Amino acid sequence: MVGLPYDCLANPLGAVRLTFEKAVASGIDPATFDGKDWGATDLFRDFLYENDGLSQVPTLNDSTIRSLQPNTLVKFRGMIQDMLGNEFYVGAYKDGSVWRTNKFADHSQFPIGSSSDMRVWERRLLYCVPVPGQNSWTESFCQAAVAPFANSTSPAREKRQRENDVDMQDLDHEFQDSPSAKRKREESVPSQSSNLQANKIGETSSNTGLVPDFDGNSFPCLLKMYDSPESDLKLNDVFEFIGVLTFDTELKTDADEVTELNNSLYEEELTHLPPSKVPRIHCLVHRKLAVHDFLSSPTMLEPKPFLVKGIRETLLGHLTAVLGNDGLAAQFMLLHLLSRVHARVDTVAVGKLSLNLTCLNKESISIFGNRLNLAIRNLVPFAHSLPLTIDYLNSVSLAPRKDYQINRLVSGALQLAEGTHLTIDETRLQTGTLNSTGVDNARVLKSLTELQKVEYDFTYYKMDMAADIQMLILSEGKSNILPADLVLPLRPSSVDCYGDVDPELLKAWRWYLATMRSLPHSIEQEMQKVVEDDLVAARQADRSLGSQELSRLLTMGRLVSVSFGDTCLSLDHWQMVKELERLRRERLQGSV
Amino acid sequence: MDNLDFDRDKDLAKDFLSHFADPDGEAKYMNMLQDVANHKMKAVHIELEDLVNYKDLDEDFLRRVTENTRRYIQIFANAIDELMPEATEPFPDDDQDILMTQRSEEGTENADGSDPQQQMPPEIKRYFEVYIRASPKGRPFTIREVKASYIGQLVRISGIVTRCSDVKPLIQVAVYTCEECGFEIYQEVTSRVFMPLFECPSQRCKINKTKGNLIHQLRASKFLKFQEAKIQELAEHVPKGHIPRTMTVHFRGELTRKVSPGDVVELSGIFLPIPYTGFRAMRAGLIADTYLEAMSVTHFKKKYEEYELRGDEEEQILRLAEDGDIYNKLARSLAPEIFGHEDIKKALLLLLVGAPHRKLKDGMKIRGDVHICLMGDPGVAKSQLLKHIINVAPRGVYTTGKGSSGVGLTAAVQKDPVTYEMVLEGGALVLADMGICAIDEFDKMDESDRTAIHEVMEQQTVSIAKAGITTSLNARTAVLAAANPAWGRYDLRRTPAENINLPPALLSRFDLLWLILDRADMDADLEMARHIVYVHQNKESPALGFTPLEPSVLRAYISAARKLSPSVPRELEEYIATAYSSIRQEEAKSNTPHSYTTVRTLLSILRISAALARLRFSDTVAQSDVDEALRLMQMSKFSLYSEDRQRSGLDAISDIYSILRDEAARANRMDISYAHALNWISRKGYSEAQLKECLEEYAALNVWQIHPHTFDIRFIDA
Repeated sequence: MVGLPYDCLANPLGAVRLTFEKAVASGIDPATFDGKDWGATDLFRDFLYENDGLSQVPTLNDSTIRSLQPNTLVKFRGMIQDMLGNEFYVGAYKDGSVWRTNKFADHSQFPIGSSSDMRVWERRLLYCVPVPGQNSWTESFCQAAVAPFANSTSPAREKRQRENDVDMQDLDHEFQDSPSAKRKREESVPSQSSNLQANKIGETSSNTGLVPDFDGNSFPCLLKMYDSPESDLKLNDVFEFIGVLTFDTELKTDADEVTELNNSLYEEELTHLPPSKVPRIHCLVHRKLAVHDFLSSPTMLEPKPFLVKGIRETLLGHLTAVLGNDGLAAQFMLLHLLSRVHARVDTVAVGKLSLNLTCLNKESISIFGNRLNLAIRNLVPFAHSLPLTIDYLNSVSLAPRKDYQINRLVSGALQLAEGTHLTIDETRLQTGTLNSTGVDNARVLKSLTELQKVEYDFTYYKMDMAADIQMLILSEGKSNILPADLVLPLRPSSVDCYGDVDPELLKAWRWYLATMRSLPHSIEQEMQKVVEDDLVAARQADRSLGSQELSRLLTMGRLVSVSFGDTCLSLDHWQMVKELERLRRERLQGSV
Repeated sequence: MDNLDFDRDKDLAKDFLSHFADPDGEAKYMNMLQDVANHKMKAVHIELEDLVNYKDLDEDFLRRVTENTRRYIQIFANAIDELMPEATEPFPDDDQDILMTQRSEEGTENADGSDPQQQMPPEIKRYFEVYIRASPKGRPFTIREVKASYIGQLVRISGIVTRCSDVKPLIQVAVYTCEECGFEIYQEVTSRVFMPLFECPSQRCKINKTKGNLIHQLRASKFLKFQEAKIQELAEHVPKGHIPRTMTVHFRGELTRKVSPGDVVELSGIFLPIPYTGFRAMRAGLIADTYLEAMSVTHFKKKYEEYELRGDEEEQILRLAEDGDIYNKLARSLAPEIFGHEDIKKALLLLLVGAPHRKLKDGMKIRGDVHICLMGDPGVAKSQLLKHIINVAPRGVYTTGKGSSGVGLTAAVQKDPVTYEMVLEGGALVLADMGICAIDEFDKMDESDRTAIHEVMEQQTVSIAKAGITTSLNARTAVLAAANPAWGRYDLRRTPAENINLPPALLSRFDLLWLILDRADMDADLEMARHIVYVHQNKESPALGFTPLEPSVLRAYISAARKLSPSVPRELEEYIATAYSSIRQEEAKSNTPHSYTTVRTLLSILRISAALARLRFSDTVAQSDVDEALRLMQMSKFSLYSEDRQRSGLDAISDIYSILRDEAARANRMDISYAHALNWISRKGYSEAQLKECLEEYAALNVWQIHPHTFDIRFIDA
């Protein structure tokens, strides 16, 4: 594929059109293209994955937005926060005798005549945000990929862009004959000649007070999806989208029009997401991301047993140091970090292992809480922490809620991507009264710990969304608001600082956690028998053991063997689980 | 060419309207038009279903109507214009009519009407609205399923209304008068926005080049009521991990003010793109917004009585009804993931089915709802059972004794924080009217609610006399309660009465009371351990050994069963009376009566029997129903007093023998059929396995002979 007749990076739409024309020329009726691809995405897939184009595609984020040109290929990593329904557009139309397509574009390149030969197709709108709680070490990787592109644009030019006003040149020739283009041109008269680069967030937005709020955590992006089956993309999934950026300067003139039709329900989503604030991407290729994709060295090593054991030992040592030389707590912490929901049977989320570290008071939390937070942030790609106070519970809405006034899903603190780590600090909770919001929030937290489900509030009904969040609860006594699977009193024996961690080791640990988490696991027939008998014996001995406790023991069994890189439960590991459980119970009894 | 086609279609429409006869032979649409002519109604609803059933159906015409509905509404309206009969009744003239008479008089005068804008558009003369309603057959679409290819078509959608705008006037025909020539000028408006005329387009003004100034005549113009709403997908239609979609709906004319936020509705309407105008159109570029032009609104009712069977469900139910084992099958399909508890599930099934309400001539009401109380140790899946029942029931409220707010379970008078008016707010029991109210933690109920619940459970009303409001609300609900024993866990050393922390007055109102104990049982533990290991290993629940019926099928079956109102035949009256008196006798004999058998018990027997008859789709209660009812009551008692049974001198086998012998002696017969025997012993709370054991044991002793195939018993004369 040498010497492509078009530039996939700088002119993706040209490539799309070319394939379209090719397809039409080969005698396929354009009417049949509805919901199908005529070879455009194949071309891009080929370019991205076969010809190593992926690394050349610039990443869209708050720092690169200013230097990226519209109608070029970009990639964006984010979590699907809201789904805005679908949009109908003129997908293909006949311009004279030639079929043209508008797929992957906001505007048609050529004016659409009044020809009756129009095909209305649909695309879906997704509202994506950067993954909440994404840790800084993952971003460094993204930035690295941007570098080559950033170098290619001269810094001088970039500087000038910022100084200059919005320029509409690029759009203008798309809009040759339209009155709006004239209008736009008038508005941009002062700067028209000065800059050929289209920078979409210049002074217009600052003039109108719509300063785009592009800090790292709220850089939303509107994705327009084509042809992909609906089941592919789910809420809260993390994806990498590669597509055509259109960063349209929506002018404020628009506002007048909206007021005309005010107090009707006529507003559509676009009104609330001015394209001057939210860039749009016409997605060509999307790919679901796993934790691995966020590691700096994605394919590091084969999980060799001795290597895994080595990493496990060092990580355990690190966790022990973090937890003030509490080896048992470190063991459980390791299991906790490895847990994930791997199946849902009826209402039970199998594989979750939430941990409640008790015996932390206000003094010790300032030491261990911060240490733990830091350590966890360094280990997992997404981490989030919630301080639990009466005021907080009473004032915020933890669960996402649909706002019908703006027809959007308002995100809550608990709208998190799969595999996010959540630390909840209950030590700051005082006695007090909860209002109805507080009660709701407490209920939501409880259902999240027990069932790994978050209830999204749609006013007229609630919808359960499955979540997979590792919950770590820090509390003074056993937490009743958040009934964790494991309760363990923390017994730190020293508060010594631990030294800096070797970055290479950190990398290894991250890789270890990511890889081991996704290992398959099974229990052999004979082992099953042993486990069953042990469970029955345990229950005979203690009637208070419910199915949840038994299920947790099995989860621990799985996690212990997985932590050694094994895919099969062995007797040793099962003994280890029982031993850990015995130690935990001893400690629980001791603390009462 | 096109026009010709439409003319032909207009004739087809006329033909249909004038010749369609409904099943009673009435000319449905001509009658409707007569009503319209008499100004009795304004809307002409054309049912697509009627068009399908029309004798001279033209398939192509039908297809055209469904695919280009908006155009065909016009065609039908034109057809109706031509068919409109004379008014047969006098009606008061309103402004519109006076204007119309004036206009028609003028019409002859202004004969230079070759000018299209001077011709009166037909819309302004019409005082009716035409709606085409989609066929109610088949499943309505969800919003998600309406794709681009449906644009312009008639579709049926179900959803929940989330927002509604005010009702506003929408101009349909703008009327102007010219200052110069004095002519009335008409302008038809088809979109939301229009450009008013400023210059008189009439021939006279044009020839005179006067550019007559036009004055908009608001009174003469025609306006339509217009309302916008948003509907959203129902929770059950949203695929996992997705957000419900929304759609804009436009209501016009008679359809306005039919919905309010929160209503679950089924709409038929035309799926149309919104024409963008002005700058908006430029900005939107290639995008078209869409909306649904509503043609009819149906509110969903989630009551059993109004449950409509869909398509194949009827057939499925009939097939199920023929299956002899339906009672067991349905019971097992309730909460299939909860292991065992067959009898409890049977009882819960009967609670769902219920018995018919009876109203006596003197105004006394006898409730038909079956109340059940589940009592048991913590962690025996009581709450899951409750929640599952609520899921199956079309109308169910789940609450906890303590969990309900100030309104509580019954009802409360509250002060509106904004208007300071006293408002009556219904609690969970009132909200569950005609449904099921599941109350968890029944024992932890507030004292005030507990007194009120007495009334709810027998009279089925909630009376309020507070803050100047005296009223009585209906609460015709079946109560399903779950309670913990008095000391958290059931204490076997204490009597059941001590363990049950509820007053007898309340207890007697429950038709059935079950005690679920968590006994230390090796088998059950092993079963549980196996289950958990299986779940972890295979990531799914182990196979159940049978395929449970879908909740929707259950619901359909139950709703079909609830339509019946079985009666007790005269022959059975005696039988029931004997059974009742024997229970009373037994109670009188024993020195520690476990329960108080009262008239309520008799009513319970009748209720449960009637519910069983409903399940069989029978109009009369059979003896087997009564037997099963007695058995369930016995089992429920035994769940409480199982300890006693063990203590009583006779073991199960010899007890069964004595039962059979007594019954045979009473009937003065030497042989008993197996079915009868099973009936008798199950009433006493024994299982079939025990009966078999007994049969074998005593046959070996040569007390009786057992028929090798039918297991009928024949006593050997001693």
